[in-house]
This record gives sequence, structure tokens and C-alpha cells, in this order.
Amino acid sequence: MRTFSLLFLAFSFVFSFAQDNELKGDELFGSLSARHIGPALMSGRITDIETHPTNDKIIYAGTAGGGVWSSANGGATFNPIFDKHIQSIGVVKIDPVKPDEIIWVGTGETWTRNSVSVGNGIYKSTDGGRNWKNMGLENSEHISSIVINPKNNNEVWMGVVGALWGDSDERGIYKTLDGGLTWEKVFYIDNKTGCTELFSDPNDSNTMYATFWEFRRTAWSFNSGGNNSGIYKSTDAGKTWQKIHKGLPLGKLGRIALAIAPSDSNRLYAVLETEDPKQNGMWRSDDAGANWQHLNNDFELTVRPFYFSRIVVDPKNKDIVAKAGLNGSLSRDAGKTFRNMGYMHSDIHDMAFNINNSSMMIVGTDGGIFRTWDDVKTMEMVHSVPVSQFYHVSLDDAEPYNVYGGLQDNGSWWGPSSSIGGIEARDWNRVGQGDGFRVLKHKTKSIIYTEMQGAENVWRIDLKNNRIRTIQPLLEKNDPKFRFNWNAAMSISKNKPDRIYIGSQFLHKSEDMGETWTKISTDLTTNNPLKTTQENPGGLSKDNSGAENHCTIFTVAESDLDDKVIWVGTDDGLVQLTKDGGKTWQNVTPQNPELPKNTWTYHIEASTLDKGTAYAVFDGHTKNDMKPYIFKTNDFGTTWVSIATADIKSFVRNIQEDFVNPNLLFAGAEDGLYITINGGKNWSKFENDMPAVAVHYIDLHPKTNDLVMGTHGRGVIIIDDISPLREIKPELLEKEFQFLTTKPFTMKEKDGFGTYAGDETHFVGDNPSSDARIVYYMKKRHTFGKMTAEIQDMNGNKVRELNVSKSKGINIIDWNFYGKPPKVAEGKTLNYSGFASPRVSAGKYKVVINKGKDVYELPIEVQYDNNGIPLADRKDQEKLTKILFDKVQDLAYLVYKVDTDLAFLENINKIKSDKKVTKLITELNNLKNTLVVTTGDNYVGTSEPQLREKLSDLYGKVSGNFEKPSAAEILNLESLEQRFSDAENKYNTMVDKQIKSLKTKHAELSKSDYLIFEDFLKK
Amino acid sequence: MKRILTILFITFSVPFFAQITVDEILNKYFENSGGKENWENLNGVKFTGKANVGMEVPFETVQTKDGLTYTKINLQGKDIMQNVFDGTKLWSTNFMTQTPEEATAEQTQNFIKNDKQGFPSPFINYDSKGFKVEYVGEETKEGTACYKVKLTQNPIMIDGVETPSIQFYYFDKDNFMPIMSEIEIPAGPMKGQLALTSMSDYQEFGGLFFPMSLSMQGAALTFDKIEINPTIDSTILTMPAQ
Repeated sequence: MRTFSLLFLAFSFVFSFAQDNELKGDELFGSLSARHIGPALMSGRITDIETHPTNDKIIYAGTAGGGVWSSANGGATFNPIFDKHIQSIGVVKIDPVKPDEIIWVGTGETWTRNSVSVGNGIYKSTDGGRNWKNMGLENSEHISSIVINPKNNNEVWMGVVGALWGDSDERGIYKTLDGGLTWEKVFYIDNKTGCTELFSDPNDSNTMYATFWEFRRTAWSFNSGGNNSGIYKSTDAGKTWQKIHKGLPLGKLGRIALAIAPSDSNRLYAVLETEDPKQNGMWRSDDAGANWQHLNNDFELTVRPFYFSRIVVDPKNKDIVAKAGLNGSLSRDAGKTFRNMGYMHSDIHDMAFNINNSSMMIVGTDGGIFRTWDDVKTMEMVHSVPVSQFYHVSLDDAEPYNVYGGLQDNGSWWGPSSSIGGIEARDWNRVGQGDGFRVLKHKTKSIIYTEMQGAENVWRIDLKNNRIRTIQPLLEKNDPKFRFNWNAAMSISKNKPDRIYIGSQFLHKSEDMGETWTKISTDLTTNNPLKTTQENPGGLSKDNSGAENHCTIFTVAESDLDDKVIWVGTDDGLVQLTKDGGKTWQNVTPQNPELPKNTWTYHIEASTLDKGTAYAVFDGHTKNDMKPYIFKTNDFGTTWVSIATADIKSFVRNIQEDFVNPNLLFAGAEDGLYITINGGKNWSKFENDMPAVAVHYIDLHPKTNDLVMGTHGRGVIIIDDISPLREIKPELLEKEFQFLTTKPFTMKEKDGFGTYAGDETHFVGDNPSSDARIVYYMKKRHTFGKMTAEIQDMNGNKVRELNVSKSKGINIIDWNFYGKPPKVAEGKTLNYSGFASPRVSAGKYKVVINKGKDVYELPIEVQYDNNGIPLADRKDQEKLTKILFDKVQDLAYLVYKVDTDLAFLENINKIKSDKKVTKLITELNNLKNTLVVTTGDNYVGTSEPQLREKLSDLYGKVSGNFEKPSAAEILNLESLEQRFSDAENKYNTMVDKQIKSLKTKHAELSKSDYLIFEDFLKK
Repeated sequence: MKRILTILFITFSVPFFAQITVDEILNKYFENSGGKENWENLNGVKFTGKANVGMEVPFETVQTKDGLTYTKINLQGKDIMQNVFDGTKLWSTNFMTQTPEEATAEQTQNFIKNDKQGFPSPFINYDSKGFKVEYVGEETKEGTACYKVKLTQNPIMIDGVETPSIQFYYFDKDNFMPIMSEIEIPAGPMKGQLALTSMSDYQEFGGLFFPMSLSMQGAALTFDKIEINPTIDSTILTMPAQ
């Protein structure tokens, strides 16, 4: 026995695998996948543009939160190529030696606004962007530049800006000599100063230039500038660096833009942020940085250096230089004067001249990518890049439901979750300006509330009458100044439809849609004077946008179960609760030691299942703390339990509890969506068509069970109907195969013509499936042996074969409620109407899945759409469809018999030509020519339609309707039936009078007589 | 069943900790799917089945070692020839006119460079065909842990521009059978995007394992019958005169 014990021991590792049937990630979610609805019409922030050195059709765009996109057609369309990795991009660089193969991406945008995301190092692709590998510096957070030695592409330098929210040693210039396997820090200033620009002289790779920037953000302040900012030069390929400031102002410097003219190595342009506003703006050196002269301090050159420090020089003309800015500007006189770029979305971050024609440029803005053919005079937007940055989403109860949300620098919008032909740009409606945040639909009225940054305006929009009114709370007698967050808290009540809440440091409540406001709390924040100096941010250049407003209410949640229970979370880390509608408040901030004090309360989710239960999400990233914090209370905040685990790899902003199963939770993290099915014991990352994008807000639709995510970089992403996840429990995981619960399916009845030619370069959002969705779980993927699925009626008759899904985990297969098309008569051409399948009647059916020797059945119910069409009308339509379906098949059989007889007669004539037979062949052919087209083609060479075409057309028309057949259709049928009957009689007469006798006479030639009708249908 | 048991047994014989190489993956695949020698000896295959593309469309398709190929689909009783290669000409029947049309010289050359050489599998003696294979890493597909292998075939020409021809294959870690492939779309607005094909229902014919079900973006091909080394009526390959 010992021998067997040892044998078992040898397999123990295998058994331990086999017994651990806790599914995670891709294994759990199977074929449940996300769909993207964009939109792309306002797109989002583009951070970096990179063009191919020899092929001007190839362009790459790095984005603030939507990854890397590539175009192979000169920018007409772009596709995403970096979905599996962090979506905040600092720089994209093409290898000059192998430009079609090696691409580098430095993650972490470097335009360091308050909402900037965080990167996780440098990536390399060696196959043109198809696969990517992280090559290190995971804590660099923001990478500005990559330089590749054109003589040795294993030698690469990287400029690292580094951490925005705290000190970090991972800054400066790094170098690899082995293609990125190892990196050495070759130039470093201090833990506050990062490298914002690094490039080499295109004519001498030993000469390099770099800019350094001293900067820092907190949640309540921003500083740009310090004594360590500066311009550096190396003439020994980065070994040693010297400041090149001769002629530049002394004192502190802020962010610096620097560029070299590719056509003249002596020509450098720099844009400086200095202590003296007169010295800000454009500087130029004509001796490779040895001396500098000041040229211009126009607004466009000095505006917001932290956001717009990019200059690009024409590759052929050293005097033409473009500068990023609010509108972007261009100089044709070596930087002396500038003109604004043409009209496009404001906030220009990068530009690229076409390598062959400098009049053509690609420009990246806060509102997407633009192209120009006329020296940036006229700008055309690229419409295929849905990198919109939502801060928030909400839903309504329309059918289909609408999605509402606000975006970074792109206002507020609402649009449908589905639309005929797909969700197009024209389906979206603009309902706000500036930066948009919360957009909320009144529960019963055609009213939308929207806001812009800092609640500078809160709009109440009457959609019915197209009237807009500002309704934000205003100061009353003895009120202190209100502090609203940049992304000010606003929420509505499910209990009282006219109620609306807005949070400053106080909680404001209106019971009349914003006409009158009542403060229902004292200051609920820490009101820390050190954190309320928001009028002075920016450092050297004042930047009082309101983005640093702090000590404010950030999240408000009234319980759906009790309108007196209101939760409030503040950006300075407090959780406050009232159980009496605001009369008294209690600070219920979790005191758990793992939660650092004053960590931003980003979201509170009041449970819809129990009024004492809530979830609080805390985001510490503005304190340089990237850990996830999610807490749950069951006792009105008296105690909290942490439910975040190490499975979650980044900080979290939002949580959504399922409306049915309290153990099913969804967390929106900086690197994507995480799901737990066991109340937070462990989390799985959802990656099926879901990029690693920052999920800022999640909502769950109570009717459709769709999970709707507002992402900060990839627009709105939806997982349709998450209800199968409610059933994933340990006992299910043990089953080989299990159907999951279905509700009766409704056959949606919507018609339309969809998109139009010309839309092919536009993004169109995916629609949800309107099919019956059959869901099952499989313990293992089906790989060997046969597996099929079909719909049967309750008597076991096959209605339709289905394409079957065979994944491990959750599987979804769709049935569009249609059966098989009729068998159509064979003619010279195809009969397109004959491809139509009839839709089934409402009623009971079953799904039958054959898997090897096992058979699994699931009864399902199908219902008509509830749209007012009377049942009797539907039955008339189905009856006529069935008559026509049968007629089309009867005709097919008649034509088949005619063809069989013709072949028989031709065979007689082959043996010995017979005039009578020849005459009969002619008569039979004449008859056939009236039954089906026997000449022409499928397009403009088509012949005059015959009985097949007319009958099939009527069948296609009637079967495609949902309503009662028209009188014209019924009369048309009568006429076709008469024609059919006449033809059939004529044929039968020919058979009776001539063909039968010939068959008897030539029995040896008629052995293969026609099949019976049922066998013919199977043929 | 015997074959499947063999496959499972072989699975356990793979070392758990060693970094696998692409040739180990391919060798296991050949071993589990009938043996490399048997694949090499294959002269031709005829697949008969139906496509489920919203309706069921019967078809047959033939491929041979010599590169001869055709696909015949049947719509409303009419046979329509697609992607026919007679050794020199690549042609298809135009759906509108029902008449044969020759492919462009570029398409024909691309076919000869890769498709012809890819029979019966591009992985057999890939290096002698000028193809390159690389092990990319592990990835989960259809809930199943897989080895991802990159196949680079000969570059093709698209509108006069040499374009890489790249595919990815996912081999099930448990049994080394490919369960999914991704082919890069070479032209058009979707250029560079990947078209996914899922492979399943492997069954044995003539000692070789073939996937009897292929699905791609909502459409499925199911084979009812596979004929090994079929006889081909060469007249079917000749492009009819117009």
C-alpha cells in the first residue's frame, strides 16, 4: 500500500489544483462582457501625439485616461492598442531603428491637473503595439519623455516627472543599455523635482537637453516652481549635465517647455514660467543654448504652464514653431509673433507636423484629436476616439433607459443606452458647459439637474419647454462663504421626487426643485484653515480655477428606505450621519486603524436592502497613498469592517451594492472594475472587453440589472444584466453544467434604418442584445466532442439551431426569436426575401443543449412587446405568415418537380429525339418561366419577377411586420394564390396527360423520381 | 475516448515549474492531435458542414497540400464557389452577377505565400516555410488558462505596401489544443484590430483531431463530416469562361 500512497503523493499537487474550485477573474465571468457606448463626439483629453518617422499614415495618440490609440490611415480613424494596461499616458515613442516593431509608452499623464491619473511605469512593445510588457519604474507615476539612440536602439533614456502628490526618489533621467531590462538613474536633482522634457539633438545623439520642474499638489493646493527648476544640457550622451541659463531670469522657475529645430541644431525654443510675469513666455537660443533672448509673453505663451508646456518646431523650417495653450498658437517668424490656431476644442496639449507636408498637423486637445491641412487655420475633429472622461453617471427609468453624466472640460450630457443602428453622436444631448459632473434626472418630471465646476452654476433644465434656470444655493444674511468642491456633491431623493441636495461645507436641501434652499447641517467638514486657501494656488503662476477647493462635502446619500437617514462624506475624510432628516448629525467616520485620518471620503453607498447598512469608499491618492479603502457598516456607522483586499491593485473611488444579493458588490478602481460575489472576501478584476480604465462612478439599473460605469477615459461602459452573477455561489461551482434563472423574454419590436454612409469614420456605441439571453454555467470549457444548442417547441420540434458558447464559467447564448427560413424554389438568381425567417409566437419553448452524451433542457417563456398591438392582430399576422411560408415551400416543391421532369424529358431526347417530347419540354419550360426567374442576375441585370419573387416578397413583407396584415397584402395574396393554383393545374394536366405515360414508357429513365415533400424539405 | 485519456495523461507529464518553450507547446499539440508525422502525411482534407449566420447555409471546403482549394456554399439550391485556387488562379463567384471573377494579383500572391504553405497547419515545419513562432505568455481565454503563441507568416502586400501577417493562437494549458486564434485585420478602418475565432468540438478523423466547430463574431461553422485525402474533381477548380 505504501507504493500507492507514494503514487498519490506524486499527484498531490495536481489534486490541490483540482480541489480548489474557487473561480476568479476571467474564469468566473466567462462570456459576460462589457459594451462601450462612448460617446466620441466630445472625445477627451489627448496628452501626446507621436508620428512614424517615414510613414505619414501612422500616428499614435496617448490619452489622459483612455490608453494609446493608433491610426494607420493618416488619422481618419484610430483604434485602441493598450487596453490591458493603465490608461493614463505620458508619452508614446517610436523606435527610430525598428519603427514598425518597437514602440515605447511611458505611463502617467504629465499635464498635472487635479484630476490627473497615475501611471505605473514604462512599457515596450516589440510587435508594433500588439503586445506590451512593463519594463520597470512601476512607482514613477508620471513619465514625460523617452529618447532612443538611433544608432543603438537598446540604449534608451527616460525622463521621469515622478510623484505629484508627495516626495519620491523615482524622478529624473534614467538610462538602459539592454533594451529596458535594467535601468540606471543617471541624473537626479531631488525628491521634489522631476524631468518634464528630455530629447537629443536629431543631428547629434550625444547632445541632449532636459528640463526639470519643482512642483507639488495636495488636495487643497498646487505649487509650480522652485530654485531647482531649470534647463540642462549634456554633450556626452547623458553622462554629465550642465544648466544652460545664460540670459535667462534668475530666481525660481516653474514648468519649462523646450524644443529643438530638427533643421538647425543651434535653434532652441523655450517657454518659461518665472517670478516676473514680464519675463514669462517664449525664449530663443540660436547657439544651442549658450545664450537666450526673450521674445514674447503673449497670453497663449504664458497661460497655465503646468497644463500647456509643449512646443513643436516644423521639421523643415526652423522659424515655424507651434505652442500648446488654451487655443494653441503658431509663429512663422521664429517666435517673435504668434497667431491663434483655428477653432477647435480648447486646451491644446500636443501637436505634430506631417513629415512630408508641414501644412498638415495633428493636434491633441482636451476634446480629442484634430487634423488640419492648412497650417492650423481650419481644424477637423477625429470622430472615432471615445476617450471621454466621465466624473459621474446616473440613469433614468425610460425604456430604453438613458445615461446622464458630466465630463472633464466637456460639459454634461445625456444619451440613450440603445438606439436603432447603434448609439451615434447625434443621439447625445448637451446639458451643461465647463467641466460637468453630476447630472440627475427628476424621477417623474422632464427635468434634469446639472452642474459645472465648484457649483458655479447648477442648472435645472426643463426638457419639455427647453428652459434653463440656475438654482445653486446663494448666500443669505450671516452666511459664511460657501465652499463647494470642484466636483460638488449633488443628489436627489428617491423618496421625495422634488427634493434635491447640494453640499458645500453645509448640506443644503430643497423640497421644490431648487427654488428655495435650507441648510440642514452645520459645517460638516474639519473646516481646517490650512486647507481652505484655495484662492492662492499655482505657485509662480496663479491658478485659481477652484480645483483646489477643500474641506467640502463630496458625497451625499439619502437612504432609499428612509428619507430621514442621510449619509454625508467630506473630502477631508469625515463620514456624517443624520437619522432625523438633518436635525442632528453624528460623526461616524470609521476609526479602523488601517484607514489613515483625513482620507478623502469619495463615495457613500446607502444599501437598498437595509437602512442601517452603508458602504464608504476612501481615496488617499491625493495624500500619495494609492491603497484601496472600502468599509461596510451594518449598524448605522457605529462599527465598520474593511472589505477591500489585496486583490484590488489601485485606489478605489466608487462602490455599488447589488439590489438583490448583498454579497455581490462592484468597485470602481483607478485600474478598472472589480467584482466580489462573497461580500468582499475576495475580488476579481473584470476584464472582458473592459480596459484597465479608471472607473469613477457606477450605477445599477433596477429593471434591466445593467451595470453602468462612468469611466474617466473610455466613456460609458455597460455590462448588460449582471443578474447571472447573483447565482454564482460555492454550490454552483461544483456543478458540471447548470442553467441559470431566466425571466420571460420580451420580443422587442423596433424598426429603423440605422446609420448612414459617411458614418464609417465615426464611433458608434454598441447596442445591447435584444435577443433571448440564455445563461448557463460550465465547470470546464467544452473542447472535445460535440456540443450543440437548439430551441424546440414544447413538443420537441426543432425551431432553430443556436450558436453555442463553450467557456468555463458563465456562458451566454442569444436567440433572436426567429425560426428557420422557408425552402425557396431554385431559380437563376437568389431570392433575398426568401432568406427571411418567421418570428415565433409568444409562448413556451425549451432550450436543449446536447453536450456529449448529456442533454440539458431549460423551459423558457417568450412574450410579445407591450406596445398596444392587439393580440388578434398579431395572430392574423402570424397566420398569414404561415400561409405564405407554406406557399413559398409548396412553390419550391412544384419547381423541383418541374425540374425533375425536365431532366427526365431531356434524357429521353438524349437517347432519341422526339418532337412530342421536345414540345413538352418547351411547354414545361414556359410554365417554369412563370414560376421562377430563369435569366438575369442579382442586381441591375435582374429579370422580370415571377411567382417565386412575388410570393417571397409578400412573405418577407408580412413576416417582417408585427401588426395586422393590410387589405392590400391580403388581396395580393389572393391574386398570387390564383396564379399558383392555375400553374399547378396546368402542371398537373401535363403530368396526367403526357408525363405519366412517358414515365411508364421510359421507366428505366425515371428511376429517380421526385422525393416526397417532407424529404424534399430536408434535401 | 482513448485518445482523450491519452491527452490527459500527457498533460500530467508536463513539468509544472519549467518555463515552457514554443516548440514544447507545438510538439505537445501535434502529439495530442494525431502525431506530427500523420499531419505531415496528410495530402488533403474535405470538410462538409453548415454555417450558422442567422440561417443555416450548407457548404463544403477542400484544402490540399498542393495548395488547391475551394469552398462551395449552397444558397437556395444554388452552388456558389468561393476562394477557389487551381494552382495558378484564385477566383470566386460574384454574388450579384453569379459569374466568376479572378482575385487581384496581390491577393493571389498573398494566398500563395501563406495560405498555400499553411496546410495542414502553419505550425508544421514552420521555419522551413519562412514562418516565425514565438511564445508570448499565459493568458486566459474562454475561462481557460492558455499558452499564447504568436505566428508571423510571410509578409503580404496590401495595396502595394508590404504588411506583416500576424496571428495569435491560444493553446489550452490542460491539453495543448488550440482553442482560439486571433488574426490581425490587414486593411480598412479596422486595420490592426483582431478577428477572433474560437475552436471546439475536437473529434478524431483518420487518426487526426480536428475542431468540428468554429465560431467567429456571432457566426459559427460546424463540420458534419471530414474526409481525409479526398479525391478532387479538378474541373471544379477551373475558372469557368464567362
